[in-house]
Amino acid sequence: MTPPRLSSSRQRLLQDRVATGLITAGGVGVLLAILAIGVFLVWETLPLLVIGDTLALAKLSPLAWGTLKAALAALLFAIPVALGAAIYSALFMSARLRSRIKPALEMMEAIPGVVVGFIAGLILAPWVERHLASALMLIIWLPLSAALAGLLWQLAKTRLRRRLPLSWAGLWLVPWFVFMVAIALWLAPWLEQHWLGGDLRQLLDQRYGMDYATRNALIVGIAMGFAVIPSIYSLAEDALADVPSTLIEGAQALGASRWQALWKVALVAAGPGIFSAIMIGAGRAVGETMIVLMASGNTALFSASPFEGMRSMAAAIAIELPEASPGSQTYHLLILAALVLFIFTFLVNTLAEVVRQRLRRRYRQIGGTL
Amino acid sequence: MNTRLTTLLTTFLTDRGSPFAIRHILLRYAAITLLLATPLAWGQSAPISGTLGAVGSDTMAGLMLRWGESLTTRYPDVKLQFQASGSASAPTALVAGTTRLGPMSRPMTSEERDNFIERYGYPLLELKVARDALIVVVHRHNPLRALTRQQVDAIFSTSRACGAEAPIRRWEQLPATRDWSFGRIALHGRNLASGTHGLFQERALCGGYFRNDISEHPGSSAVVAAVGESANAMGYAGFNHLTPAVHALSLYNDGGTAIPPDEAAIQSGDYPLSRYLYLYVNLPPGETLPPAEQALISLIMSDEGQQIARASGFVPLTPSVLNAQQRW
Amino acid sequence: MTSVSANSASRHPRFSRVNDLWPWLCAASVALSLLMLGALLTLLLVRGLGHFWPATLEEITLSSGETFAGQAVREVALPQQDGDERLYFTGNQDIDGVRWRWVAIDEIVERAQPTDLIRLDRSPWGDFIGRLVAIEQHGQRWEGDAAWQQLATLLKLPANQRQESQLLLTTVDGQILRQPLANVVSAQTPNAMAWWQKTFAWGDAVWRFLSEGPRAANTDGGVWPAIFGTVLMVILMSVIVTPFGVLAAIYLNEIAHQGRLTRLVRIGVRNLAGVPSIVYGVFGLGVFVYGVGGSLDEWFFSDTLPSPTFGTGGLLWASLTLALLTLPVVIVATEEGLARIPEAQREGAVALGATRLEMLTRIVLPMAAPAMLTGVILAVARAAGEVAPLMLVGVAKLAPQMPIDGEFPYLHLERKFMHLGYHLFDTAFHGEDVQAAIPLVYATALLLVLIVLVLNLTAIFLRHYLRRQRGNEC
Repeated sequence: MTPPRLSSSRQRLLQDRVATGLITAGGVGVLLAILAIGVFLVWETLPLLVIGDTLALAKLSPLAWGTLKAALAALLFAIPVALGAAIYSALFMSARLRSRIKPALEMMEAIPGVVVGFIAGLILAPWVERHLASALMLIIWLPLSAALAGLLWQLAKTRLRRRLPLSWAGLWLVPWFVFMVAIALWLAPWLEQHWLGGDLRQLLDQRYGMDYATRNALIVGIAMGFAVIPSIYSLAEDALADVPSTLIEGAQALGASRWQALWKVALVAAGPGIFSAIMIGAGRAVGETMIVLMASGNTALFSASPFEGMRSMAAAIAIELPEASPGSQTYHLLILAALVLFIFTFLVNTLAEVVRQRLRRRYRQIGGTL
Repeated sequence: MNTRLTTLLTTFLTDRGSPFAIRHILLRYAAITLLLATPLAWGQSAPISGTLGAVGSDTMAGLMLRWGESLTTRYPDVKLQFQASGSASAPTALVAGTTRLGPMSRPMTSEERDNFIERYGYPLLELKVARDALIVVVHRHNPLRALTRQQVDAIFSTSRACGAEAPIRRWEQLPATRDWSFGRIALHGRNLASGTHGLFQERALCGGYFRNDISEHPGSSAVVAAVGESANAMGYAGFNHLTPAVHALSLYNDGGTAIPPDEAAIQSGDYPLSRYLYLYVNLPPGETLPPAEQALISLIMSDEGQQIARASGFVPLTPSVLNAQQRW
Repeated sequence: MTSVSANSASRHPRFSRVNDLWPWLCAASVALSLLMLGALLTLLLVRGLGHFWPATLEEITLSSGETFAGQAVREVALPQQDGDERLYFTGNQDIDGVRWRWVAIDEIVERAQPTDLIRLDRSPWGDFIGRLVAIEQHGQRWEGDAAWQQLATLLKLPANQRQESQLLLTTVDGQILRQPLANVVSAQTPNAMAWWQKTFAWGDAVWRFLSEGPRAANTDGGVWPAIFGTVLMVILMSVIVTPFGVLAAIYLNEIAHQGRLTRLVRIGVRNLAGVPSIVYGVFGLGVFVYGVGGSLDEWFFSDTLPSPTFGTGGLLWASLTLALLTLPVVIVATEEGLARIPEAQREGAVALGATRLEMLTRIVLPMAAPAMLTGVILAVARAAGEVAPLMLVGVAKLAPQMPIDGEFPYLHLERKFMHLGYHLFDTAFHGEDVQAAIPLVYATALLLVLIVLVLNLTAIFLRHYLRRQRGNEC
């Protein structure tokens, strides 16, 4: 590299001072701008909080419940799938496959919420309503068919097993699932007829008094779960893959089986990382707007039923705020909702980040390869 | 002949010095364009041009856009720019003078009229441009055909301000749907900010309160689509969103006859939830409108304009109403 | 026990059957995720691209003796009885008053696909499906094949030059319609077309979808203004976000004292990436639109008040809001790049007598450039798919004026603009007829997903390439 041309050194020093000052100013300015979000939200909600308008807060509570319900539904679906996928791809999957599958799954995160919401609200929801029994059966049937695949594999001949190794199962189980879904869809109407006396929805209504809304927590759970899976998966996978291999190997050397080593050592060691992954997922689920707006029915209900709709704070902001005149009570109320979202996600994310940093330090102490 | 003229023009335009190649080509192109454009320009008598601005009803967005499209096909230089931000935004914009045209899906309140008179000293010109209605829809296979006002209220409201005795929650509670074994009635409607929501509340619920388990959709077409997909659903929407996927119910009028929401009943106003759509125009007395505005209004009042209203799903005006507004 | 694995898994000892199933469940999670992703993409591809393929038209005879023509759309089960019903798109809204028809499949006696069925795309009445009888122009009349040739030549003329011509059409149940040719956009006989003709028609339809503006109040036509608006907004946003993001990252990584406070700030910035986008939208509406925009109006555009110029949502505010939203993405990515540069490089530069500015501009920034680029691409990908904040700060259902045009000052930052994502939401929920809009929604969704995926893939490859290169250097 050619040495920098030396011009007058005083000018260079001056330039350096000015540039440093500018960068500092710019950097601090950007950070302040980010801080301004919080300040603005608090400032705009002060009128409500000062008056202590309990009526307004009462209006907000079904929205808060709806937000939580939607997020819970999404996490119920996303956590098992995302963690399972993370465990598998960090510990079982072949390296070659992993380098392909991980970006593919992370790509799921890039699919815009408005597209997922459209599919969920206009395509999936009516289908599930017409085929409720099939949909519910699929939820039970898919894990069973995975276990069935495992059993069959163990009974299979060695040659077949070598052809279809566990380390590639993430890929070759896909056609298996397609086949199984087809079987389930074919069987479900028949089962519904024989076991459930014709119509599951009538049964739910007559025996349990349960209502069924087209756009409900089940649909939101699946759609938003789909959107949340990649963020949980990605972080949890990182945490598991970063567990120093010495730990697992040590455990196995002491006589633990691979599964024991995983369950008792790797998962425990990566526990905080997984926790922070789930927190990040929760933050995303709470703030997701378009999916809930399009797939939830927007009914401001206090109901825990998975077959009833809800209305979330984010969705309420999106449809009502453009019509609310600034300064009105609705306006302040919706901004309060935004503040709640802001604080909640900020806290959850900070918690996750702190836990993750602590974890990283711990690995370093254990003497991982990092 | 064309080329000769072009060369002539080109040499004329580049008389000083030798023409550069690019300049040459450009000028030749310009000359050809000129030659081609001239007969076209001559062919049209008194061209009208300009951008029309209109601010107002969300319901009428599709209709206004289609009228604008048709206007542009007639007069290529006229463009209609429409800002659909709800009927309530029209009076504000008219008073502020940012637009001369305010489409509204309801008549102006006297307060809104007074505001305008206070500012300008003369009243707005009110034009009826089409007829519309709110419809109550059920799934296309639902045997239900008609509802009384009290029944509608008992189904959609908690207040029952129209005088029903008990709320109606299940299909079995209605005589016509005793065998429609789908349990509870799933309700669909519009979100709070929409005019449809407000109008239904005022006219069908007698000003009462909506139930809180109504699915609130961000658009009327979403309501119709949702009802068309589920056999246990009922919803309310604008008439122009009616599709064969749903069935629009007849409503009993005060005389006890069931009136179906068809074109004739909406046009005559017999259907209880029908309404006019309006266009408010800022026109000082004794003056005439600029040609572009004039062109839009005569398009709306023409047979073609009313056909466009029908194509958008609304109901054309009766000839008598059109005649009464004939001077426009 | 027979569960000794034969391959790579043979390292570990035998274990019980129940525990043996857990890995399968985990593998199933991966498979399930892949399946869902694949199903979504396939659905979008098939329905989004399939919409443009000239669909076969059927002539249906019912058991009641009634006939009609249409395109089969989908089938669902009848409620409370056995059997299915099928939805047909029948067009002819001016004649029948509706353009859809649900028919119980049991009622259908005959399904034919006659080759002379014609499908016209018209404005304002939408599609016509039926037969062409004749063309009349200036008292002349063409029938049969001659009519076809004449129609093909006439349709190539611009609309205002075929005002005199009229089509004489019949529906399959014998109703006669006189259709002025000026209102016809295109004509097709899909049943008579060979596959290559259909392919051409398909390509043509895709091109029109991409290059034309919406028609018939967003229920028909293309998405060009939405593509344009999305791209312009994203470009403006990256112009704003890049310098500020890079500046903040340099400050945090190179200049600020690396203490507890900086660490906290860094955590804060990271967390902002997790704050819901709608919150940024609220901030944009409250501060940019009502605050800054309102003041600008008072100072510079008071003559047009109370009608707002900058005090309402617009391109500028949307870009600013999204820039703020994607700022953390750029900062984090750039910081990652900066942190990867070995300390020795910086020390070497300083040891050779470079000032900090020189060290930054000549050594550090060039090395971190790919990371910055990755950050910007990720930011662009996020912004292109984001809809919720835009609903608050300036997206429009239909913007008749493009934000760039020949009028001074050419780039109109205060104008509202169209956005692919919002266009999708609007046509799916606000349109006149959802059923009619769904194919267009699929196509729009596919386009949006493609744009976002391509951007993301670029970022991934760039990062991959960068890491490999760095790996060689170190």
